[in-house]
Amino acid sequence: MDIDVLVVATIARALAFATPLLWAALGEVIAERSGVVNLGVEGMMALGAVTGFAVAFTTGDVWWGLAAAGLAGMLGSLLHAFVAITLRADAYVSGLSLTMLGLGLSALIGRAWVGRPLPDPMRTIDVPWLRELPLLGPMLFQGQYVLTYAALLAAVVAWAMLFHTRGGLVLRSVGENPTAVDAAGLHVRPVRYAAVLIGGLLAGIGGGYLSLAYRPSWGEGMVNGLGWIALALAIFAMWHPLRVIVAGLLFGACFTLAFRLQTVFPPELLTMLPYVFTVLALVFTAWRRGRLAFGAPEALGRAYLRGER
Amino acid sequence: MKHAARLALALALLLPLGFGSAQRALEDLKIAFLYVGPVGDYGFSYAHDLGRQALVERFPGLETTFVESVPEAEVEPFVDQLIADGHNVIIGTSFGFGDGLLAAAERYPDVIFGHATGIERAPNVFTFMADFWQVYYLNGLVAGALSETGTIGYVAAFPIPEVKRHINAFAIGAREVDPDAVVEVRWLYAWFDPAGAQEATQALMSEGADVFAFTEDTPTVIQVAATRGFPSFSHYASMLPFSPETVASGQLVNWEAILIDVVEKILDGTYTADNLADVDYFWGLGEGSVEAGAEPGMLINPVYEAQLRAEVLDHPEFGEISVYELVERRLEQMSTLPPEFEPFTGPLRDRQGNLVYADGVSATIDELLGMEWAAENVRGPWDGEP
Repeated sequence: MDIDVLVVATIARALAFATPLLWAALGEVIAERSGVVNLGVEGMMALGAVTGFAVAFTTGDVWWGLAAAGLAGMLGSLLHAFVAITLRADAYVSGLSLTMLGLGLSALIGRAWVGRPLPDPMRTIDVPWLRELPLLGPMLFQGQYVLTYAALLAAVVAWAMLFHTRGGLVLRSVGENPTAVDAAGLHVRPVRYAAVLIGGLLAGIGGGYLSLAYRPSWGEGMVNGLGWIALALAIFAMWHPLRVIVAGLLFGACFTLAFRLQTVFPPELLTMLPYVFTVLALVFTAWRRGRLAFGAPEALGRAYLRGER
Repeated sequence: MKHAARLALALALLLPLGFGSAQRALEDLKIAFLYVGPVGDYGFSYAHDLGRQALVERFPGLETTFVESVPEAEVEPFVDQLIADGHNVIIGTSFGFGDGLLAAAERYPDVIFGHATGIERAPNVFTFMADFWQVYYLNGLVAGALSETGTIGYVAAFPIPEVKRHINAFAIGAREVDPDAVVEVRWLYAWFDPAGAQEATQALMSEGADVFAFTEDTPTVIQVAATRGFPSFSHYASMLPFSPETVASGQLVNWEAILIDVVEKILDGTYTADNLADVDYFWGLGEGSVEAGAEPGMLINPVYEAQLRAEVLDHPEFGEISVYELVERRLEQMSTLPPEFEPFTGPLRDRQGNLVYADGVSATIDELLGMEWAAENVRGPWDGEP
């Protein structure tokens, strides 16, 4: 295969594969920026996938399905928010439980939908005019789903909101130093709730992409670890929405190249790379500790109780 | 009248004795199935559970139960629990259950164990396999005729003999129809990986593949191929509903054919917990344990019938024959017991040019089970190539 064909195909497929990762990882970045770790991404994506499929199948409209997928992910995250924020239980345990609950519940709900194709799945689109561009056209503007472009847009919006609005400042402050925010007369819990719920919404949409577009059907376990990759992605992007795009494309490229270069390169090495990157990112953040641009939120994973330090 | 009743009663009492004490009543049997995946996978475990359901339909009142998603290394505690619950026949349906089942079988010498896809047996452990090699060969004939580029894609699970045998049979079929056809293989290194199947199919399409077969537990390859209108083949269960216009044929399994035979032989006393060391089912088309078709009863999708009838070959065995008829003839030949035709019959070379089978020589079952070589027209990586 010619090298330019390989590059074009790799980037095009990296985008398609990365789309659910972008949605879920963006959600996780927002939740973790507020200081709440949510390891339930895999479960929320599974809930989104099954609910989205069931609703799209029943109503015949993928967009209703997508809305339901987001809502299902949000409901899952509400449980996590209640346990981790209101009850101040261990967020790591609560998130893991959400994953297991989501996987089990989705399998149960999904029984009736196994082996049934979606009559009217989401269609791919070619972006008018832009699709004619040489190289860039087939690379970015042909045969993708609207949800892919929406994910890129969501990343930009999340970046603008987090770093250029007062609300974003409050959210990040809650993740860095909730005591200070509290002392300033702002409420910590509602902010954290909102961040976790947005995270659930986005993870649910990521799951919906899987069952409505990427592979329009429901099968138990169909998320198959993408939720965990999204978690790694949020870390690798060092909690920055714009870096999520770059990191997502890199993860996606590794994944698709594992098949394209299989004849010349051991695929295990390529599928392992995202995790190697993530470990490197962790090392990097530890090394640059204290520099806000790269570090984890200071209060990440710690429940907030007023008066407690 | 009274006499008749007495006679009947006496006969009824004597009858079991006449057949030996090994005979067992249906009510005494309690069969447990262990699946490696969820029954909702619409693939391997789903197909096994359809087999279980058909078994119960054949023997109303037969008590069965199943446990899904059993981790391969932790099969023993599951067996302990099931036997504690009174089960006396345990069927494990994954290759990786082997060690655990054999260890448990040693501890429970009175329980009958069955191991699907397994290779090791014991006095109370039999092995069984419904194998697709003949069906893949038939699908290869179809694929060879339908491919316009001459490149046929194969998305494969693991490079183990079972999968290699299926790829080779498929490639041999394709080559019989189109001597220039090649089968491009990409490996997932997983039985279940929908995202991987999606990207592997996309990669194969970039390489020019325009017909697709696969070993993976979801209909993903079929759905992805259908986005470009490319033909593909059902795997395990009927996947025709996922793309009614492009699923050309496929491999379908009827595990119940074997299960029914097993239960009949346990009931009539042929099989006991002492004499199973040589009981190894390796069943194909002839025994009805597998079927070729896009869905049961549909050997070839009518959408492709005209095209396959129009493709006429000068065949060394049948003379002038259309691919459609060739598939039918080969199916007939392989549906007899013993089969009249074996796809792995020489002259066959591996892709390094070594002669594997000389003219007229066929593979034995052991050779089928241990197959490592790659057929002449197979492309792509091949771990463990001799």
